[in-house]
Amino acid sequence: MPEWPPEWLETDIAIVGSGGAGLMCALHAATADPELKITIVSKGAVGRSGCTRMVQGGFNAALGAEDSLEAHFRDTIEGGQYLNDQELAWTLVCDAPGVIDELETRFGCLFDRTEGGAIDLKPFGGQSFDRTVHRADQTGLEIMGRLRDQVLRIGAHELEDWRALDLLFDVHGELSGLTVLDTQSGHAAVLLARAVVIATGGSATMYRIAAPAREKTGDGMAMCYRAGLPFRDMEMLQFHPTGLVAGDSALTGSVLEEGLRGAGAHLYNRFGERYMERADPIRLERSTRDVVARASYTEIVEGRGTPSGGVLLDISHLGADEIRRRFSGMAARTLLVGADLTTGPVEVSPTAHFHMGGVVIDQDCVTEIDGLLVAGEDAGGTHGANRLGGNGVAESTVYGARAGDTAAALVRDRALYLPDDRLVADSLDQAYAPLRRSTGLTPFELTDRLKHVMWTHCGVVRSRGGLLQAREELSDLASQLTRIAVPGPKEANPAWQQSLDLASQITVARLIVESALEREESRGAHFRSDHPERDDDRWLRAVIAERGPDGNPSIGTRDVEFTRLAPGGRAVACETA
Amino acid sequence: MAVLERSRRQTNIETAGDAPATTVRLTIARSDAGAVREFRVALTQPAVVLDALLAGQRLDPSLGFRYSCRVAMCGTCAVRVNGRPTLACQQPITPDTDELLLEPLAGFAVVRDLVVDTSPFWNAWRRVVPWFMPGGPREALPAGDASRAEVERGLDCIACGACWSACDVVVTNAGYLGPAALNRALTLVADERDGARAERLRVAGQQGGVTHCHSILGCTAACPKGLDPSASIRRLRRWSLVA
Repeated sequence: MPEWPPEWLETDIAIVGSGGAGLMCALHAATADPELKITIVSKGAVGRSGCTRMVQGGFNAALGAEDSLEAHFRDTIEGGQYLNDQELAWTLVCDAPGVIDELETRFGCLFDRTEGGAIDLKPFGGQSFDRTVHRADQTGLEIMGRLRDQVLRIGAHELEDWRALDLLFDVHGELSGLTVLDTQSGHAAVLLARAVVIATGGSATMYRIAAPAREKTGDGMAMCYRAGLPFRDMEMLQFHPTGLVAGDSALTGSVLEEGLRGAGAHLYNRFGERYMERADPIRLERSTRDVVARASYTEIVEGRGTPSGGVLLDISHLGADEIRRRFSGMAARTLLVGADLTTGPVEVSPTAHFHMGGVVIDQDCVTEIDGLLVAGEDAGGTHGANRLGGNGVAESTVYGARAGDTAAALVRDRALYLPDDRLVADSLDQAYAPLRRSTGLTPFELTDRLKHVMWTHCGVVRSRGGLLQAREELSDLASQLTRIAVPGPKEANPAWQQSLDLASQITVARLIVESALEREESRGAHFRSDHPERDDDRWLRAVIAERGPDGNPSIGTRDVEFTRLAPGGRAVACETA
Repeated sequence: MAVLERSRRQTNIETAGDAPATTVRLTIARSDAGAVREFRVALTQPAVVLDALLAGQRLDPSLGFRYSCRVAMCGTCAVRVNGRPTLACQQPITPDTDELLLEPLAGFAVVRDLVVDTSPFWNAWRRVVPWFMPGGPREALPAGDASRAEVERGLDCIACGACWSACDVVVTNAGYLGPAALNRALTLVADERDGARAERLRVAGQQGGVTHCHSILGCTAACPKGLDPSASIRRLRRWSLVA
């Protein structure tokens, strides 16, 4: 079914993904050298898929008069429970104020300001200062809308609704580009590139209750894994504490933003107990996401949740007018499911949200493979064991920008390499296989199974027994992939695309489960009921996962380097950039 | 033609207790010859049109439709429900709903089933020079500022194309920029930080611009984000006159 030979396309920089990281990368590369050929490969609509656009709350930058880079850094490291790559975290906080300025003054984002004219900073969980830049509760929409239009200005080549399949190498192992598939026409192509930037985002959609957009199925991570790159901290999967509970509806799991807790929302179990008084008596609901999510989960599984499996989030004491003014999007979201944030409590549940873990990179987004860069959620280390709200969009834009700068410099000296034909043929054969089979399984049942397995055995609370079961289930699911058959044509066939999504999700799921088995302690988002304590003596180490010789994940560990701040809060060498 | 049925939707969410299901008869515009057009799906409350499409897909995996974020941010799930353009993720299906007619957006060529080619929308969008250009008279707009208020009224467009589908003029006049692009132009023309007001007013005022709008307000009625493109077009008209 794949036409042979496939169409050949050529570019200087191929960017996979069109969220905050992908588009910032394109804009920075074009600024560095307007002559560069830049191609954006986006499985969904350019600038309108992925998660940066869904950011409600905002963007952390140390802009307040009393605030400092050191304070933002310290909050990020303490929030991450010292598992962070401190150089990545330091780069994040140092670059964030400049990126805010760039978004405003070059790209036109209209962030909220005070009457005095200063950028309005709002409080978020786990932070010592109010430092979250926002536009009401639609911050991501404003950022992505502006970036999308700036990308029209630079005239990048857009492969919109095209998915990336596999990285390609020449016969000597030099990166030569990737195979891509137009999901609308069903045609495939080879995209030759001097540099490839992976910015597809994570894969939290593999959980039964999950927040991200549907595109987020870990395609970039899976490609990097198959190419042999090492990953770190893959067991660190963040659950956002306040996902909407809406029964069977696809709306279940969508996020009610962190700013609600920042603004004073309370969480109650069904007996009206404010359980955060037990879980974190000092910070209460404004504690970090890992603590709040686990407290809510515990209420639910121990029978103190609502009949439909949630807890209650209540901010009605602020008054309906104030809530509508500050959280209009959130108020509308609850009305749609028959609740009303402005007048009373709404049901929420922890929802799978974000990978702190990902591909090992340096501050310039460089990986172990020459010509291959990774930026944003696909990369690991910036957030350690837990990400602070407001540091996610900061990461995607800061590191997207850096990837663009790096790529522009890199392609000056890097040639195009012709890919090994066998890799092209294998990649396309595999992609079209579900369409060629006349009978078999649909991807829906297998996706449901994956979501159930991950939620039950590798979710908010984990144990060795459950994880071993997850390992077996995933191995079985992986073997079922070759039995999927999808009816219908190759044009605009979402079931076919879902079967390819599922393959990526299972690959990433295996990395999470194997890394979670390895870490025999509890830290941040990773909680082991059989090892409930944080163990700084043994586990100030990153779990490293990569493809072993047999094709299965091989697991090791590596010491975390405290280049700037040691546990206990002792500054090592916190110089100001 | 056979009606595909499903007594209870299988989903990845375990239902709480035995929530009563609403049975809805869907008629979906299909583009493949012989494809099933009628479905009967059972949905628990709360439910939106997107849930009905996902249930339909379980019955016929070849059903073509698109969605991404499911929270009214991406704008990719826009379809016509009983003739009215809207976002599938934001259109509730109430317990008393018996039938729904789902069709692709009007004003676009159909790629397959409910998936349309939105390039006319984006070509128009490009023509208004939708990107911010620094160089305006002011650097920042504080809270309460008149220019800020004017810009904010038009922000948060998700480019879903519902207004395009609802607009009578884009169908008859292929050169018309349409409501969303003109609304984007207004947000930049009104922004005193921006340095390209004259250029955009020229585009908005010339052939294909604001003078073609008949003020039927279809766009404003259809906007799933509650924006008022029709008012933006009126304001742009005033700007063009004073420019």
